Amino acid sequence: MQVSNSETNSNLPENSEKILSLALDLGKSMVQCGAEINRVEETVRHICSAYGIHKTQVFSVISMVYATVIEKNGKTNTQMRRIYSYAPNFDRLEQINALSRKICAERPPIEEAAAELKSIFVKKKKFRPTVCLGYIIAAMAFTVFFGGNFADSVASAPIALVIYLINAYVKSTGVNRLFFTALSSAAAGFLAIFFVHIGFGENANMIMIGDIMLIVPGLMIVNSVREMLCGDIMSGLLRLLESVMIALAIACGFAVAIITMGKIL
Amino acid sequence: MDFQEFLRLAISGFVGTFGFTLLFRSNKNRVIISSFGGLLTCVVYALSCVYFDHELMQNLFPALVATIYAEIMARMTKAPATPILACSIIPLVPGGKLYYTTYYFVVGEMENFYDSFIALLRIASGLAVGIILVSVAVHEINRHKFKHIFDVD
Repeated sequence: MQVSNSETNSNLPENSEKILSLALDLGKSMVQCGAEINRVEETVRHICSAYGIHKTQVFSVISMVYATVIEKNGKTNTQMRRIYSYAPNFDRLEQINALSRKICAERPPIEEAAAELKSIFVKKKKFRPTVCLGYIIAAMAFTVFFGGNFADSVASAPIALVIYLINAYVKSTGVNRLFFTALSSAAAGFLAIFFVHIGFGENANMIMIGDIMLIVPGLMIVNSVREMLCGDIMSGLLRLLESVMIALAIACGFAVAIITMGKIL
Repeated sequence: MDFQEFLRLAISGFVGTFGFTLLFRSNKNRVIISSFGGLLTCVVYALSCVYFDHELMQNLFPALVATIYAEIMARMTKAPATPILACSIIPLVPGGKLYYTTYYFVVGEMENFYDSFIALLRIASGLAVGIILVSVAVHEINRHKFKHIFDVD
């Protein structure tokens, strides 16, 4: 097998470069929408093999996708994609999934597939009423789920709105996520204690835990253990560390709120 | 667990899952399916709490059932299973535990920290093992279908 260098790369048919590029773009967008790593690697392999690539070696963690394709004549081509941010967006994930199925089944021209992938990522609105409603409903329900009463549930709704607004701001500007997680949890803590103080809601703890469910990376920690059990140790570790960091930020935010409010009230 | 408690858990779990399907921007055709997955998870959780008194088993069974549900529903609606599963599992996700663990760590209550940390590990691994048991089986079935792609050296 030949070693990859710039000379052999330039001799490759343009095709394999484009195929790999498409496959990696697809893989990257899957990670961004919250897919598991082994599914991403599988998809990249499927697409490359659908376009007739001899062998594909792909490695992905939550912050990058990296792949080498090997042609029948031994020539290789390597590309990578760096991933900076991701958030669950299952509608998009489904569309990407459908696209990758279509690519494997029909093998459309690469440019066409790439254009279709781009069309999934058309710029979205900044304020999404359904997502906002989701935040409020989830917070209200989980306040009851963890043992709060109806008044607590109502009190958690405006806090959920605040968390949504902060989240939407962070997403649109791309500022430090950890800092804003701490900020939104501190804001939620202040509001919850304040509401209980003025008689809106009864148990500050229950209100807080309902709202915490919105920002705490609980699903992420389950997914990280799951990935590690599947053998994706690197990706699982990264995910685990990130979820612990986010949880620490949340705890710090709430600790600040609880301690300061304890001093004031 | 009395009946009223069970009802509270099931209904709030169902509504909460519905909220999360919106939050995760599920496809609108999958919202109801995923919400019922959350309800199913809550019910199985409540039942397994009656039979087992260990967190690992209490969480393993609901995760198992939720994954089977998600895989079946995914086949029926020709959609990926992950979004349905991620929403269905939400009521059991140890968000509160994770928060308390780090909160105890931050304020320095080390004994409470230790206890909730161990509980967190048990819950997370229970859920993960439950999911894995089913998804490995599904993966193996798929592997026979696409053998040529998985032949990596």
